[in-house]
Amino acid sequence: MKYISVRILCVVFFSLILRGVLAQETFPVNGPHDLRGTCYAFINATIQIDPQTRLNNAVMVIKEGKIENIGTSVNIPKDAKIIDLKGRFIYASFIDMYSNYGIQWQNNNKGKDQYANNKPGAYAWNDAIRAEINAADLFQFDEKQSTFYLESGFGSTLSALHDGICRGTGALVSTGKLNEQQVILNPAAAAEFSFNKGSSMQDYPGSAMGCVALIRQTYYDAIWYNTQQSEQNLTFNAFNKLRHLPAIFEAENKLAVLRAAKIGTEFNTTYIIKGAGDEYQRIDEIKATKCPLIIPLNFPKPYEVEDPFEAQYVSLTDLKHWEMAPANPFLLSKAGVVFTLTAFGCKDANEFLKNLRKSVQYGLSESQALQALTVTPAHLMNIDKHSGVLHKGMLANFFISNKNIFDKEAIIQEHWTLGRQQIFYAANEKILSGKYKLSLKGFDGGVLLISGQLPKPEASLIEKDTIKVSVQEQLGLFTLSFKEKKNSDALIRVDAWVSDYDTKTLQVKIITGKAQLPDGSYQPFTAVWFDSVTTKVKTDTVMQVSYGEIIYPFNDYGSKEIPVAESILFKNATVWTNETPHVLIETDVLVNKGKIVNIGKSLPAKDAKVIDATGKYLTNGIIDEHSHIGIYRGVNECTQAITAEVRIGDVVNSEDINIYRQLSGGVIACQQLHGSCNPVGGQSSIIKLRWGMPPEAMKIANADGFIKFALGENVKQSNWGMETDRYPQTRMGVEQVYYDAFIRAKEYELKLKADPKLTRKDLELETLVEILNKKRFITCHSYVQSEILMLMQVADSMGFKVNTFTHILEGYKVADKMKAHGVSASTFADWWAYKYEVVDAIPYNGVILDKMGVTTAINSDDAEMGRRLNQEAAKMIKYGNMSEENAWKMVTLNPAKMLHLDKQTGSIKTGKDADLVLWSTNPLSIYAIAEMTLVDGVCYYSKERDAVLRKYIERERQRIITKMMVAKQNGEKTEKKISLTEENYHCDDE
Amino acid sequence: MKWIDIKIILLLLVSFTLQTVAAQQRVTLITNATIHTGTGEVIENGTIAFNFGKIVDIGKGQTSLYKNAKVIDGTGKHIYPGIICMNNLMGLNEIDAVRATRDFDENGKLNPNVRSLIAYNTGSKILPTALFNGILYTQAVPQGGVISGSSSLLKTTGWNWEDAVIKGDEGIHLNWPEMHVGADLNETKSNRIEKQLLEIKSFFADAEQYHNALSVLTTYKASGFNSRLDAMRGLFTGSKNLYVHANYAKSIVSAVTFIKQQYPLIKLVLVGASDAYQLTDLIKQYNIPVVVSNVHRLPSRSFEDVDQPFKTPGILVKAGIKVAIGHAGSWEARNVMFNAGTAAAYGLTKEEALQCITLNPATIMGVNARIGSLALNKDASFVICEGDILDMMSSKISAAYLEGEPIDLYNDQQKLYEKYLKKFGLN
Repeated sequence: MKYISVRILCVVFFSLILRGVLAQETFPVNGPHDLRGTCYAFINATIQIDPQTRLNNAVMVIKEGKIENIGTSVNIPKDAKIIDLKGRFIYASFIDMYSNYGIQWQNNNKGKDQYANNKPGAYAWNDAIRAEINAADLFQFDEKQSTFYLESGFGSTLSALHDGICRGTGALVSTGKLNEQQVILNPAAAAEFSFNKGSSMQDYPGSAMGCVALIRQTYYDAIWYNTQQSEQNLTFNAFNKLRHLPAIFEAENKLAVLRAAKIGTEFNTTYIIKGAGDEYQRIDEIKATKCPLIIPLNFPKPYEVEDPFEAQYVSLTDLKHWEMAPANPFLLSKAGVVFTLTAFGCKDANEFLKNLRKSVQYGLSESQALQALTVTPAHLMNIDKHSGVLHKGMLANFFISNKNIFDKEAIIQEHWTLGRQQIFYAANEKILSGKYKLSLKGFDGGVLLISGQLPKPEASLIEKDTIKVSVQEQLGLFTLSFKEKKNSDALIRVDAWVSDYDTKTLQVKIITGKAQLPDGSYQPFTAVWFDSVTTKVKTDTVMQVSYGEIIYPFNDYGSKEIPVAESILFKNATVWTNETPHVLIETDVLVNKGKIVNIGKSLPAKDAKVIDATGKYLTNGIIDEHSHIGIYRGVNECTQAITAEVRIGDVVNSEDINIYRQLSGGVIACQQLHGSCNPVGGQSSIIKLRWGMPPEAMKIANADGFIKFALGENVKQSNWGMETDRYPQTRMGVEQVYYDAFIRAKEYELKLKADPKLTRKDLELETLVEILNKKRFITCHSYVQSEILMLMQVADSMGFKVNTFTHILEGYKVADKMKAHGVSASTFADWWAYKYEVVDAIPYNGVILDKMGVTTAINSDDAEMGRRLNQEAAKMIKYGNMSEENAWKMVTLNPAKMLHLDKQTGSIKTGKDADLVLWSTNPLSIYAIAEMTLVDGVCYYSKERDAVLRKYIERERQRIITKMMVAKQNGEKTEKKISLTEENYHCDDE
Repeated sequence: MKWIDIKIILLLLVSFTLQTVAAQQRVTLITNATIHTGTGEVIENGTIAFNFGKIVDIGKGQTSLYKNAKVIDGTGKHIYPGIICMNNLMGLNEIDAVRATRDFDENGKLNPNVRSLIAYNTGSKILPTALFNGILYTQAVPQGGVISGSSSLLKTTGWNWEDAVIKGDEGIHLNWPEMHVGADLNETKSNRIEKQLLEIKSFFADAEQYHNALSVLTTYKASGFNSRLDAMRGLFTGSKNLYVHANYAKSIVSAVTFIKQQYPLIKLVLVGASDAYQLTDLIKQYNIPVVVSNVHRLPSRSFEDVDQPFKTPGILVKAGIKVAIGHAGSWEARNVMFNAGTAAAYGLTKEEALQCITLNPATIMGVNARIGSLALNKDASFVICEGDILDMMSSKISAAYLEGEPIDLYNDQQKLYEKYLKKFGLN
């Protein structure tokens, strides 16, 4: 079907009329009033009154912006203006819960590196906390955006400032073309949050974990604020009001959804979380949060992958996401997750509607889609009394389409908001296409052939030659132009209009006009229809919807099934037990249900899978005491000297490819440490490398809490150039930071005991109190002897002990004092000379500490070295003639001890966790290859499994790349894609 | 130069011998050792004989021929050629975080005329730690800019750089632009790369023109002297290598096709070349040596085989490409032999891996007539190891000889070790 789809000036017209004349009650009127009837009856329509119910041949009567009556047998009031919608559809307007429609704001708080907030006024200390912002205050009608939403089907949006961590109050606004006073439906509709500090120029928070800490502390501060009278703070006044509203949380990816939900649990809030469209990748965990989601439909375009070398920059994650993203809404609905859809991120109405239909193609039912766009958001915002469905008494917010809105050719012709009409495409479109006989001087008897649709119909003039005719439409009139002869430059230009058409079929019969010939003379122009154009109907190639399968993690080397614990019998291995005796030759080890159940000779296999380990070595897996793998968006919260409140556990990236790489190097667990930016860094997370599992499942349950401290050049910011002025700048200052912090912590504890209700909960001091009470343990980055002694003295004076010195390259100089303090050492084998404080570092450090009876480990601090820690341990033999047994313990049992995990792992003993590695040869040899790595009896890595995964990756890449090329050849637009490289952190990284 | 080590009696005796009694008139023999010649050959129970700094005999059972010889029993020990570490900053970068100790990155983009040779600090505290592990030679390579400068091959011990140099200004280092046009998503990146390539190409064209002009001139016009272009002349005469640092496939293709098609006589060497494993045909076609640096690194992409960097040297050697294993950085370079060891665990034979840090570097730098392997008339520069030098479990160097003279391996790190062993009564 071809429409003369006239994009009428109505849009302009109405915006003038409505926004100007139909003003609000209190405003004066300049001239006679012009009030018109507000009662309309829509007849002969197909009306989708709610997601489940569609009425054919129905009538809807609206009056004063509300639905007066709706149904198949409805009386039409006499004052109603009747609109015949034969063949057309009415739908309830969609509601978009994630929008910044109409929000105009600029952050005037400028100035770099703000330690405290420079914003003038009685506001919170941190500029990213903007509870006092009201979207309604910032809202201005926006013509372009209004049209975008109305054409996409949205009659109202939850508009909010998308800038900052706490973004204040969102306003529910109508997208209609009315004055601000009329479109703001509810100025306080929702509270708005994110993990992004946006335009805030303040230092803190500098990391994702800092964002989490700031949000949590803000909640606690606001609770305290209600109990005190000493200060007025407009931010907290506002924040406490916000807590009664539905709360929207923007999460930038699937793991951030889990992160936000966890904060919600702490504060008894079920956030409505705006996701990124990748939720299907962690659907079970997301479902378990019970948080409703707001899901975008901006699916990725096919990537540019024609060039094989360039295509190597696209990861399997991104390739698969391209394929699976359109299935996200379907998979969420299948899992029973409550969600709504947002147009946020879609460039135009066409993209939104196209992708909405694509979601349906991928399995989402039409009623589920409508539910997600109407009833669900209305329910989530508590506006279901008047919005979401077209029932009697509800707001007259609806749109009219030429076809079922899920039909590929459907367009939204009119959108009515609050009972007022906005027309985008005229309904009574005449059909222009056809064959016309021409009357024009010099062309009499020629045939004008018009096909295709406005605004760009194709036309040609067939006489002796076929000459291309350009047809342009403007304001209902046409301009035609064509060459006089095929090879001539002379143009004939025509002003034309429709002078007759069939009122039933809408087929244009006569086009009349005035032509100006190349000689300048005007001649009459007439074109009379005589036949219709037979166009080849482009048979829609029904797209085969298939989208591969979800792998865990959704990254290279992920797999469809996460492996499970098996019963395994290792036969005939050289076993290094880390117990007495250490070496057992030709010995069997039986693993069942994640534990080591038997060690001995010739054990019966029973149901166990038998691995012939003859000639191979079986050991406990490697434990990396100092690692920065699997950390999302920042390893350091550098912005303050003490950041005990931040937690690596909040930002575990369970999908970091380095987790898999380290499994291939025989690593089974690691401590994910905060960096070494500040004297008191953040709390660490201790994980087992359970590749495929989500963040929380990677963490070792009931592991003791640890925290990173740091000394020396990094905390003094010695190597930062000259611009830094953060306290401390000397080792002298570092000591004072500690004394001050622990004294404040002691005072805090006393105050809390004395007055638990009125004392402000301070997450930073609370963590320090845990240290004082031996409930949290310190791993301290350290190099030179002076600072090592200093921290031990601080600890002694405060009544606790330092658990571990990490790096500790001058530990050998004070090994006796370390032994006396009872501290462990986690060091490098041979690092030195990379900065001034390591000029005296020697590769014998570990040997001296070990000989002195200090529990000593070799760690990596580096994603690359982390997978070769067996080699690093062997350097103890090279440099200090350490025994193989002691060297091996440096990367297994000793780190287990210093992490307080040695009861469960670190050695091969009946009853302990089956955290085992099978090595091709002596694991301390450079020629040793980890052939199999078990964590809790689960084989997350083996040479065989790895080979299978490599093949899978190769096949999947090839399959999807081919599919992308086909999509491109079928005319889909493409985009360039560079997959983000992994963030490989070290201590010193910001 | 000679150093007297009062700690080790053996060395004291040797140096005494060498310095006094009709110095070097006597052949020194090391007998009954396992000799890894660096050519792939292993001589069990072998003997090496040297005099006047050169190897005068090597093989089995010639002991009786040298009647007055000084004999050292090498039973149970392994002898290796002195290790050569390519692509390194030792002597140029002492403490990375202290700017005043960094001497490898000159201001500007096109610096072929700056010479690492004259910045090479033989007093570096890092050099003795490399020597301790058997590294007798290092290629000191400037970094930064598009053309970083000229590298030299030097001994890791010497009174000064003039004394330490094996081959000065042996090559020019060019950092090929990363040819990955999508690197940022706007179009300007490809323009930028285009510009960089044009800059390189026109510099080579100017350098060649300059060289040709000077070659036909009998008298030199002082006014036309251009130190940058002048430094490039060695590339066209073949006296210098052109080291192109390029990692990604497109950069490698672009560099190789440009140099080999425009300047077929330039001796091109690829450095880094992490994607070289994808382009063995091209690299073999032009017989371009590759300096892999480092083997111990992460794969370049998440989907790459997790052990790709480990097995790349093996893949290149099997394809018939000459491979050296280098090590970037400075203090880290003392682990270059373990990078070779890992390559041996993932595809190379141990002797092939050894070749990648001995004979192949020497051949690439054109000094294989003198060093890099243990053969007649070559420098008597070798190390004696308690076990397998590639494996840290047994890689303990008990002695080293440079040009026939024993080297003092004792350094500050041992000194501190012994000092604190003594303090704690541990020795």
